[in-house]
Amino acid sequence: MKVTCLQENLAKGLSIVGRAVSPRSTLPVLANVLIATDNGRLKLSATNLEIVITCWLGAKVEEEGALTVPARTLTDLVNNLPPEQINLTLDQKSQTLHLDCMRTESNIKGIDADEFPLVPEPSQENRIKMSTPVLKEMINQVAFAAAADDTRPTLTGIKAYFEGDTVTMAATDGFRLSVRQSPLLGTMDNSLNVIIPARALNEVARVANDEMEFVYISMPEKRNQIVFDMESVVVITQLIDGNFPDYSAVLPKRHATRTVLNTSEFMKACKRADIFAREASHTARVRIEPGDEITPGFTTITANSVETGDNVAQLDANVIGDPVEIAFNVKYMIDVLNVINSPQVALETTTPMEPGVLKPVGAGEFTHVIMPMHFGR
Amino acid sequence: MFWKRAILHVDMDAFFVNIHLLDHPEDRGLPIAVGGNPNGRGVVASASYEARQFGVRSAMPSSQALRLCPTIKFVGHNWPRIGECSRQVMDLLAAYGPLEKMSVDEAYVDISEAADPEGVAFKIRAQIKRETGLPASVGLTPNKLVSKVASDFDKPEGCTIIRPGEERLFLAPLSVRAIHGIGPRTAEQLALLNIYKCGELADIDLSQLRLKFGKNAELLQERARGIDHRPVNDDPGQAKSISQEWTFNDDIEDENYLFDMMEKMAGQVSESLKKRNLVAHTVVVKYRWVDFSTFTRQRTVEVGIDSAAEILATAQAVFQANWNGEKLRLIGVGVSNLERPLGRQLTLFNS
Repeated sequence: MKVTCLQENLAKGLSIVGRAVSPRSTLPVLANVLIATDNGRLKLSATNLEIVITCWLGAKVEEEGALTVPARTLTDLVNNLPPEQINLTLDQKSQTLHLDCMRTESNIKGIDADEFPLVPEPSQENRIKMSTPVLKEMINQVAFAAAADDTRPTLTGIKAYFEGDTVTMAATDGFRLSVRQSPLLGTMDNSLNVIIPARALNEVARVANDEMEFVYISMPEKRNQIVFDMESVVVITQLIDGNFPDYSAVLPKRHATRTVLNTSEFMKACKRADIFAREASHTARVRIEPGDEITPGFTTITANSVETGDNVAQLDANVIGDPVEIAFNVKYMIDVLNVINSPQVALETTTPMEPGVLKPVGAGEFTHVIMPMHFGR
Repeated sequence: MFWKRAILHVDMDAFFVNIHLLDHPEDRGLPIAVGGNPNGRGVVASASYEARQFGVRSAMPSSQALRLCPTIKFVGHNWPRIGECSRQVMDLLAAYGPLEKMSVDEAYVDISEAADPEGVAFKIRAQIKRETGLPASVGLTPNKLVSKVASDFDKPEGCTIIRPGEERLFLAPLSVRAIHGIGPRTAEQLALLNIYKCGELADIDLSQLRLKFGKNAELLQERARGIDHRPVNDDPGQAKSISQEWTFNDDIEDENYLFDMMEKMAGQVSESLKKRNLVAHTVVVKYRWVDFSTFTRQRTVEVGIDSAAEILATAQAVFQANWNGEKLRLIGVGVSNLERPLGRQLTLFNS
């Protein structure tokens, strides 16, 4: 192998695949990154057996070849090289990668590329086309609601349902639920129903950038995997087996009170409340009062802590329906308000024991459900 | 006599044995041990005074007890009766002042408010005997540390009273090991300084003690002088962790059986949590292998849990992630990172 590429391209490529490296695996090759020539470009690939990230970068290829080298060593080295051309040469016999940049020369000992797990090629057929920015927004709105601990493995995943020309993604940790629907670019013949690890989708959202207009989604046959092909970057992940809870059954069908609030004001009030609520299981009480002809409706958010003190914030609100007082984990509120982009947000409530629903005003594709906190046992 | 603080330590005498004798008067006068089967791996939980004369002590392996006293009679725990008697005693004590339960058969009562604490001490001991038929020893002193020593001073059916100002004098001739918190390790270190008795520890120059014990030196000497300001804590919610464990008669590798045991323990842990109105953020699983090596693995969950099902699910997930099918001689399930929730997080799915 004999390749020339730019330091900044190589550094960027290594940061993209770096998250799939598993430095503490019993398989030493998984701590390595695969470097290979591929149709006139340089291919980098890393995997922890659950997820594979591959990216391609522009390079001048003079001689084909492939090798794996420790990701940590190569990344640290490249990040500290000057922003110039790097010449990469592989000494096949000693399995050593030689790097030459300005007046710095390095040799990194590697492991044979044949030991790197075989990575399936993205299929060109039966693939679903989506706008990359839309997928990225979807993931950001849904993935945070997935369970962080794997007591119930299916809840660490995102349920994705592709049918016709839409995709629906949902995630829940049992206390809150995020559901988002988006259009596909094109129509599918068959529907597809899978659970994708939230961790993997977060990686997809992380590596997706503005230069990648479209993402092609496909499933290699009989591999229980899903591929996100953004052309210069491909993420492949294992799917989660199991039954996702029937979330449609818990989506409230009606509400007694609809409260419209300014999103950023609501967010700031929640953040202030959490300064006090964090010592009290993040509990904050939300009191909603409808207005009349003269006085507008309002919402107060109250948090108190035995140790720290308390905080009450009042916000103007457009309230339709009955007054209600309901307690929430205010961290859950902050999480969802973080991903609502519309200037106004609607909070739909029924009773203090029933779920609250948050929706961006003016965009019907996103629904978030939060179960309240209940006082007294 | 004016008592600024009057702390009573009540310690039931051979509690498990005496409950057994209450229900089986025919066993009176015999060497009895309550505890595990001597053919298995049980330990003596409580021994009658007759058995103690042979050297049988609680926490001793049952097999050893049998060697020391071949005529010893082993009887099982009657947990429902033990619970009932314990409750009866504790309810009775609670009427006298703030109560801190240390175990089923031991508690502190703060009787500082009583006009005549010394009279109350005798009264309580007699009342326990009259109402439950069970003997108890009590220690009345100005603090918990000395009361604990005092209740043990004249067993069984003792009532030892150490008046304010006499604490140091009372402890002086006793071994340092009499002080709660001084274990074999600390005693060993003290022996290097030629300190064996509380009096010697109380009198030694603090700077000398500091060389060996650093910032703990002061506390150590205070204890030997009978100084202790800890309040009687009547809030059971202060528990930092709650756990259950089980030693098997035979080493176990049957996953289903282990899960059954974990289910039972998760249920008990859940009950204790609910009783204290607490939720746990961390679930701990304890393993002991055949070679006695022991370790714990834990997992932390964001939303506090208290139900048996949630504790069990988390414990099983931890267990499966850290068990390679090897035989176990002990398994334990516990919770820590406890919190008294303001509200209770409701769940979306009822499963």
